Amino acid sequence: MGTQRITVAVDAMGGDKAPGEIVRGALDAVSELGVDVLLVGQENAIEPLLPDGRRVPGVALEHAGEVVGMDEDPAAAARRKKDSSLVRCAQAVREGRAQAMVGAGNTGATMAAALLRMGRVRGISRPAIAVPIPVPAGTRHQLLIDGGSTVDCTPEWLAQFARMGREYARTRLAVDEPTVGLLSNGEEPGKGDELRKRTFSLLEKVPGFNGNVEGRDLMHGTVDVVVTDGFTGNIVLKTLEGALRAAVELVFGVLDSTPEAKEAGKVVAPLLLDAAAVFDPDLTGGAVLLGVDGVCVISHGSSSARAIVNAVRVAQECVETGVVGRLKESIDAG
Amino acid sequence: MPAETHVAQGPIGPDEVYRILRERLAEILEIDEDRIKLESSFTQDLDADSLALIELVEALEEELGERTVGLRIDAEDLGDLGTVQEAVDYVVARLGS
Repeated sequence: MGTQRITVAVDAMGGDKAPGEIVRGALDAVSELGVDVLLVGQENAIEPLLPDGRRVPGVALEHAGEVVGMDEDPAAAARRKKDSSLVRCAQAVREGRAQAMVGAGNTGATMAAALLRMGRVRGISRPAIAVPIPVPAGTRHQLLIDGGSTVDCTPEWLAQFARMGREYARTRLAVDEPTVGLLSNGEEPGKGDELRKRTFSLLEKVPGFNGNVEGRDLMHGTVDVVVTDGFTGNIVLKTLEGALRAAVELVFGVLDSTPEAKEAGKVVAPLLLDAAAVFDPDLTGGAVLLGVDGVCVISHGSSSARAIVNAVRVAQECVETGVVGRLKESIDAG
Repeated sequence: MPAETHVAQGPIGPDEVYRILRERLAEILEIDEDRIKLESSFTQDLDADSLALIELVEALEEELGERTVGLRIDAEDLGDLGTVQEAVDYVVARLGS
């Protein structure tokens, strides 16, 4: 008996490069990954992008009359715009017409839509975004949770994030006993604001907790899971992105500075470009919203077609490895 | 033909709204229903934040919408609902409007 193909609902209207890059990525995902895709969005915008109208094997089209903008209030948009591509994607997962959803649009609205349509995992108060951060020295990743889903957090919620992040690292990153660190402004237990201090005492009961970590521990594999609130997490991610871009500009500026450097650059630049691919957000594969009762992958706002393929790949792997089910079991077990 | 309202299983009174609200809110907040009383304040007594209230409204629309077609609770009104009693009154008024 063959394995049933997984259907991933893709929000064709979400993201800076929607719908063109999103649709192209969805089509590539069908041919490269062996999944089916439910493209959700405005028919008149999507159909011209399909090579043969809507009759593409493995691709179904669902019309959605509304679009959630990047600047809209997340909760209000998710509630009011029930005919939006975003809400319809979440609804498709809820109704079992898709096993996962991928969106590159408004992150907060994606979280709200997934939460309202799919529901919450029992025992989890707030969803959180688990973002893989590359560790350059090897092939492994470090997880940052929360990457921006829940801005104002309680210590209890951060402790829940730690448990979810640990289970996700176990399932998706194949780490047997993931270690956990709380992002703070110093390693000592007493460091941090009130939120960090109170969270620290709760995390001491979480298996694998290694204490506080600092910003410099990111991308160094000091711990497998870095826990923080969504406000800090989002700033961390954007800071890393900006710093990496500046570092790349610096290096390539040097390699272009003198005739000798240019000669060296002919040898070194290709190697550097290959190595730097690990930092390419389009290749990271999207972040997973943990804590909702379904698979929801969030790709970055300027996602290219390649980013969408990788986000669909993450969604596929999450379904195949039963991430949500294992998360529920883990939370139930305490 | 009148508008699509009050169709299914007879009118829904305040007691029924309160019962449904308690049940759904207890599920969302993962607390015992006994903790939820008419005079309970959403924020001070039940620690229900804005997202929890939105979940509640969605749940009420879904459940009551099956029995009263077209029930819609405005998101803008959520901020004014301080207590369970106020929420019950609001929903009952909506059902009757």
